[in-house]
Amino acid sequence: MSVLSGGVFAGGTDDLTDLRNLVDDIGERSFDAKIGHRSLPDAFDDTAWRHLEDAGLTRLDSTADSGGGPVEVALILRSLARHAVTVPLAETDVLACWLASKAGIAVPESGALTIALGDARTDSGTVIAAIPNVPYAAEASAVICALRDGDHLMVGAVRPADLAITRGHNTGGEPRDTVGVDTPLEAFVRLDNHAAAELIRRGAWARCVQIIGALDAAVEFAVAHTQEREQFGRPLSAFQAVQHALASMAGEVERARAAANLAVAAAADHGFDSPQADYAITVAKVVLGRVVPAVATSAHQLHGAIGVTIEHRLWLATQRARSWITEFGDTAHYARRLGRMALDAADPWDLMTGVVGDQPARSTTD
Amino acid sequence: MTDNYAALCVNEPELAALRARLREFLAADRDEFGWRPSVDTWLSKWDEAFSARLGDAGFLGLTIPPEYGGQGLGHLHRYVVTEELLAAGAPVAAHWIADRQVGPGLMSYGTEEQRRRILPRIAAGRYFSAIGMSEPQAGSDLAAAATKATRTDGGWVLSGTKVWTSGAHLSHQIVVLVRTSPLDPQRRHAGFSQFIVPTDSPGLDISPIVLMSGEHHFNEVTFNEVFIDDTNLLGKEGDGWRQVTAELSFERSGPERILSTAPMLTALARLLADQPELDSHATAALGDLLARLISLRQLSISVARALADGESPINEAALVKDLGTRFEQDSVELAADLLSFVSAEAGGRAEVATLVEIAGLHAPMFTLRGGTNEVLRGMVAKGMGLR
Repeated sequence: MSVLSGGVFAGGTDDLTDLRNLVDDIGERSFDAKIGHRSLPDAFDDTAWRHLEDAGLTRLDSTADSGGGPVEVALILRSLARHAVTVPLAETDVLACWLASKAGIAVPESGALTIALGDARTDSGTVIAAIPNVPYAAEASAVICALRDGDHLMVGAVRPADLAITRGHNTGGEPRDTVGVDTPLEAFVRLDNHAAAELIRRGAWARCVQIIGALDAAVEFAVAHTQEREQFGRPLSAFQAVQHALASMAGEVERARAAANLAVAAAADHGFDSPQADYAITVAKVVLGRVVPAVATSAHQLHGAIGVTIEHRLWLATQRARSWITEFGDTAHYARRLGRMALDAADPWDLMTGVVGDQPARSTTD
Repeated sequence: MTDNYAALCVNEPELAALRARLREFLAADRDEFGWRPSVDTWLSKWDEAFSARLGDAGFLGLTIPPEYGGQGLGHLHRYVVTEELLAAGAPVAAHWIADRQVGPGLMSYGTEEQRRRILPRIAAGRYFSAIGMSEPQAGSDLAAAATKATRTDGGWVLSGTKVWTSGAHLSHQIVVLVRTSPLDPQRRHAGFSQFIVPTDSPGLDISPIVLMSGEHHFNEVTFNEVFIDDTNLLGKEGDGWRQVTAELSFERSGPERILSTAPMLTALARLLADQPELDSHATAALGDLLARLISLRQLSISVARALADGESPINEAALVKDLGTRFEQDSVELAADLLSFVSAEAGGRAEVATLVEIAGLHAPMFTLRGGTNEVLRGMVAKGMGLR
């Protein structure tokens, strides 16, 4: 068993089984509640959020004595994504709480939080920014603004009511708002840009483990559909071409899971601000960047036309995976980064075996 | 939590030390004996002296217990040694099959006499074996194999023909899968047995099957009423199919399904690193290539660890071979493309171009040997409940 176990070959139990079952249960209830009225946008699921808060699962990574860390959070994120639960858990726990704590800013102890990462300018004592694609800005109890201004990252917790929010959503239906900031400079704390690099790494990490859940769903749906749907007098799954397409999909997901598991272990053992995490998350981003379109395309092909309708469940898996892979840096960016790591390595084989320096990760440009 | 970073990289302190020791040995051995790193060396680079030196240094028979001359270490130690040898492009073909399959096979099914007779020489890198499975009419459909053994006084008489038997012309023995009972169409996998056949047996005829590259690795092996005494039956009569398939997950998921072209890739990366200004598309293409390799290695390691824990991840093992060998094939074209970013005068360019050419000639075999990928995908489909 691995942290991100799941999908068509899952089996067995480990010491995370209880947590996995608990979150799967919350996820299944959320998923079932959407049956019959799937639509765009897909609203924030405050029932599921309340269940997660009641179970003490919304601030695991960011609470020192919670007993949870990247391993538990990764498991929860995968499971929620598997069931397309529309809640900003990654944003709250992995990003907003972490950054606020690093900046020494107080945030509400309950409720959803989010992060607005972008560039800003300061004009006569006021910080001004317009940031697209902010997850769940309108639903959050506070938006942690992380604004790059030259060499600094300005961090401030702002209430949604004090921001100009234009609602929007990604292609997977999740809230993605445009946030206008016009806030006094005193509301911000200055950090160096190193914090921005770790924030992006954390975001990329969270999206990678979420994507594993979405891809597991896509493969499971494709298996179920091809077994139920009959054409030419037999189930689609009886055709060898279909069997091979499904086997290839499963293979892509398993190698993605293996890469994501390494990223989870790197964060858990060495912290997000480590060369191991930098390396493993870079690898995972590139791997998933190639796996997501391949699996999504194949899943749709196997579903036939019904899979592209709003009433069908498939888009919640494929389109969320597609949206998530574009966030916190695109695939080509991370591919260049990994290529650069190999060119700079004393021995490229060391890099292939995960041996990376013990120095703190340096921020690089590509 | 056992899932930690070093474990997932098969790089816990003890394994990292083993890696370091082997790298040191390989660098010194290469300097002294002058072998050149190459691709697909586990098929094509037969070097008996190298195998003997490797055995003397304690890098063979890793999982064989000390009482039979081995190192008595675990499956993951063997994994580390295997991948380091492949990455270094070392000439490992001579001992490959003996060390990978015959040693473990004898430990699982061999008699005490067989173990004492053969294992110490395998661990010493001085005893080489081939495996006889495919036949002219039995390729992907191995159960169609018709080579048979019939009972005689004190042993068996073997008749039939095996093909694609790599290294048979240089080996001491061949382990063959033969029918010891006639085919039962209802139970096609029943009635097989395994025999150890010394290559100097009277009636054994080995003739070359030359590859399109001009290389001779494969053979056609004909058994003209070859007598085999009872001491050379491997395992139980009638249990042959189960014996050859039981441990296929090790072979299918091993580093050799991903790293056959690795020496070409590392040499290429070094060449690219020496370019004064590398096009960013080339940097990205290199990153893409490595990400694919790394993800497959992680998948292979997850299977290796599961196997070491006594689990049977047969679907994942089949996936490693399917995805890994397709990667090996694709890596040849990707490397050829990347080579175009290296200036014509660059030192070492010609060597890498040669590796690309050799890999290109071997590439069609990557997805065929040890069972075609189509058969593997069929198995995975079965594991997914589709068949």
